Amino acid sequence: MSGNANVGSGSGSPTWWIVMRKELHELWVGGKALTLLLVYTILLGVLTWVLASNSELSLIPPKEMVYETLKAALAVGVFIGVIIGADSISGERERSTLEGLLLTPTSRRQIITGKFLAAASPWPAAFLVALPYIWLLAQGDEAFGQAVLWGAVFGTILTPAFTAMGMFVSYWCNSNRTSLFVGLGVYLFFVLPTQLPGSAQTGTAGRFLQWVNPMQAPDFFLEKILVNNRTLGELWTWIIVPAAFAVINLALIFLYAGPGLRLEAGGAGEAGGAWTRRKATAAGVFLIGALGALGPIPALALQSNQETPAMEVQAAPARTASLVMGIDMEFVTVRAGESVFYETTVTNSTTQTSPDLILAMNIINLDALGDIVDPEDWSPQRTQYQGGLAPGGSATHSWRVNAILDGDYMIYTVAIPQPAGQEATTHPVASPGIHLTVTPFTRLNPGGVLPFAIGGPVLVLIGLLYVYRRRRRGIDEGG
Amino acid sequence: MSTPEFRAGQGHEVLVARDLHKSYGARPALRGLSFSLKGGSILGFLGPNGAGKTTAIRILTTIIEPSAGSFLVAGLGSDRPREIRRRIGVLPESLGFPGNMTGLEFVTFYGRLYGLSAGKARTKAQAMIQAVGLKQRGRSLIKSYSRGMRQRLGIARALINDPAVVFLDEPTLGLDPKGQQELQGLVKWIAKERNAGVVLCSHQLSEVETVCDEVVILSAGRVVTQGAVSDVIGGSESNVVRVHVPEAARSDARQALQHAPGVVSVQASDGEAGWLRIELASEASFSSNGQHVNNGILNVLIASKIPVLGLQSGGGRLQDVFLEITQGTIQ
Repeated sequence: MSGNANVGSGSGSPTWWIVMRKELHELWVGGKALTLLLVYTILLGVLTWVLASNSELSLIPPKEMVYETLKAALAVGVFIGVIIGADSISGERERSTLEGLLLTPTSRRQIITGKFLAAASPWPAAFLVALPYIWLLAQGDEAFGQAVLWGAVFGTILTPAFTAMGMFVSYWCNSNRTSLFVGLGVYLFFVLPTQLPGSAQTGTAGRFLQWVNPMQAPDFFLEKILVNNRTLGELWTWIIVPAAFAVINLALIFLYAGPGLRLEAGGAGEAGGAWTRRKATAAGVFLIGALGALGPIPALALQSNQETPAMEVQAAPARTASLVMGIDMEFVTVRAGESVFYETTVTNSTTQTSPDLILAMNIINLDALGDIVDPEDWSPQRTQYQGGLAPGGSATHSWRVNAILDGDYMIYTVAIPQPAGQEATTHPVASPGIHLTVTPFTRLNPGGVLPFAIGGPVLVLIGLLYVYRRRRRGIDEGG
Repeated sequence: MSTPEFRAGQGHEVLVARDLHKSYGARPALRGLSFSLKGGSILGFLGPNGAGKTTAIRILTTIIEPSAGSFLVAGLGSDRPREIRRRIGVLPESLGFPGNMTGLEFVTFYGRLYGLSAGKARTKAQAMIQAVGLKQRGRSLIKSYSRGMRQRLGIARALINDPAVVFLDEPTLGLDPKGQQELQGLVKWIAKERNAGVVLCSHQLSEVETVCDEVVILSAGRVVTQGAVSDVIGGSESNVVRVHVPEAARSDARQALQHAPGVVSVQASDGEAGWLRIELASEASFSSNGQHVNNGILNVLIASKIPVLGLQSGGGRLQDVFLEITQGTIQ
C-alpha cells in the first residue's frame, strides 16, 4: 500500500453537512432525540386530556386551550434544544470524542455549524407532533391557523436561540453535568416568570420585564393574538426581544465559540478568532443597547392599549344635550364560553364640567322567549365610575362580557350623570348597541381526546422501535 | 518558517521539531524539544508522568500552539495547522468512540472529513478496517468492541488519510500480552509497509525497546537523552551483565559473585524475580587469567551449584537507562 499520498479534498459535501449527518445519526438513530420526543408527546397527551376535562367543567374556550397547548409545546421544544445543545460540546469532551474531530483538517466553525443544526433538529418534529393536539383542541376555531403560523415563527426563533445558548454554555464547560446544570438554570430563569399569575407583573416595570424576557414575550404575544384577537400591528414589538436573543446567541456560538473551539473548555482559538470574537462582542453590545433603547416603547404603549379589542369599528356616537357616548364595535359572534372585549368612550361636549358619571352595562336578550340575562353572571364589570369630565374631555372604559348561553343579544352601556340633589334629575345617555350572537358551546368529550392522548405517544414509540429494529438489521450483532 | 519541498518515502525527514517550548502560565511543560524523524522509522517517546510527552504530542498534532520553537511535518511549517492535520494520523491516549456507530461507519465518517467522497471514504475505510484486522467486526457497533479492538479501530481511523506521520499515544495500554504483541506488529507494519514516520508514546519500555528505532526520553519537560535505541542502551550501561537464577538462590548467587574476577558490585534487579545486575569494572572483558568475564561469572555460579536460567551481556536494558536518568519516577 502506498503511503503518504495526500487525500483529495473535493468530496462534494461541505464539512458541516458531514458533521451534521453524523450528529443526526447519533441523535435520532442513537435514540436520544426520539426518547425525548416520546416524553414530550406523553406530556402533550396528558395536557390535552387535562384541558379537555377542564373545558367541560369550567368552559375554557378553544382559543385558550390552543394557546395553553402551544405554549407548552414551545416550552418543552426549547427545553429539548437546551438539553441537546448543552451536551453537544462538553459531552464530546467528556467522552473524549472531541479530540478526534479537532485532529481533522475541518474548520472549527464547520464543526459547530453541523452540531448546531443537528441539535436544533428535534423542534420541527416536536412541532409536527403538537399539531394534531392543537387541532383537536381548536375544534375548528380559526385559532388553529394562527397557532400554526405563530408557533412556527416563535419555535424557529426560540429553539435555535436556546440551543445556541446551551451550546455556548457547553463550550465553556469540561463537564457535561456542569453544562447541563448551567444551561437548564438559564432556561428556568427565563421560563419560571411565565408561570407567575398575570397580576404579579403589572405596571410599566412589570410589563417591561415581560417584554424583555425572550420566553415571556412570545407567551404574551400568543395570548393576545390567539385569545384576545389582537393584531400583529399592535404586538410586533413583542417579537423584538426573542429575535434579538436569537441573534446574540447565534453570534456567540458562530463568531465567538466557533473559531475558539478546542480541547479544553473555552479559551482562544485559531488565528483570526480574536478578531471575530471582538466583532461578536461589539454586536452583542450593540444589540443590548438597541434593546435598551426600544424597551420603554412597547411597555408604555401597552399601558394605553392593554385592553383594546381587536374588532374595532367606527364609533357611532349617541348625542344628548351634554354627553356623547361611543362604542367601538357593532356586532360580534362568539361561542358560549368565549369572551368579548369592547371599549366605550364618553365625551363631554359642553362648555361646563360634567357631573360624576355612573357607567352601567346592560345585556338584553333579543329572543322574546329567551332566558333572562343577569349581567352579574356575564361580566365582572357591570358598572364603572367616572369623575366629572372637563369641557371637551373624554374617557375610555374597557368592558368584558363572558358569553354564557347561546342566543341573540344586544349589549349597550348607559352613562348616568349624578343628579345635583334629591329634587333634581339627569338625562342618562346610552351608547349604540353591540349585536352579540352566541353560538352553542362545542362539547369536547375528554373520552374522545383519549385516543389522541394515548395514540400520539404510541405512534412515537412505534417509530422508536422501528428505527431500533431497522438499525439492528443493518449491523452485525457480534459480542 | 520556510516550507521546503517534501518528498515522501523512506529515509526522508517527515517530522522535525526545533527547540519547542510550552508553558502553562508560569509552569514550563516543555523546555527545548528538538528531534527529527524519518519516514519508515519509529521513534519512541518516553518519560515519567508529567514529563511533557502529551504536551509535545499535542503541539506536534496542532491541538495546542507552542510558546516558542517550530516544527515541520512533511515539509509543512507549524504555521499551517490545517494542512498539517491533513498529513498526520493520531491515536490519542484516551480516544473516545461513538458507541452507536459501527466501526466501518466511524472510519468512513473520518474519511469524509478528510475530503473523500462518500464512496471513496467507504472503500478506503473497508481497506483500513481489514488492514488492522477488524474485517469480521466492521459492521458491529463500537460499543460491543473490546479495548484491543477499539485501539485497532483508532489506528484505522488514524490511517484513513494516508498520513506521513502517525502519532500513537499508549496504543497498547490495557491490552493483554497477545493484544500488545499484535498491536506492536501493526505499528511496525505502519512504518515499514506504509513508509510513515511513527511517534510511539509508551510507558511499556520493553515495547519501545522492541519496536522503536530511535528514542527520546523526556524528564520535567527536557530531553535527557535521545538517539538510536541501541546507542542509548549500549552507551549507558555497557559494563553491566544481568544473570537470571532461581529466586530462592538469588541471595547465595549474589554472595558468590561478589568476589568473582572483574565484578564491582552485584544487586538484585528491581522488580524482576531472580535477576541480578552485575556491574563490571571498566574494560573488564577479560580477567587476569585470560578468561572472558562472562565465563568467570558462569564458573562461579556453577561451582556454587546455582542453576543459571539466563544471562544478558553487552549493556543494560532500556528500563535500566530510563530508571537511571529519570531517577525512577516512572509509574
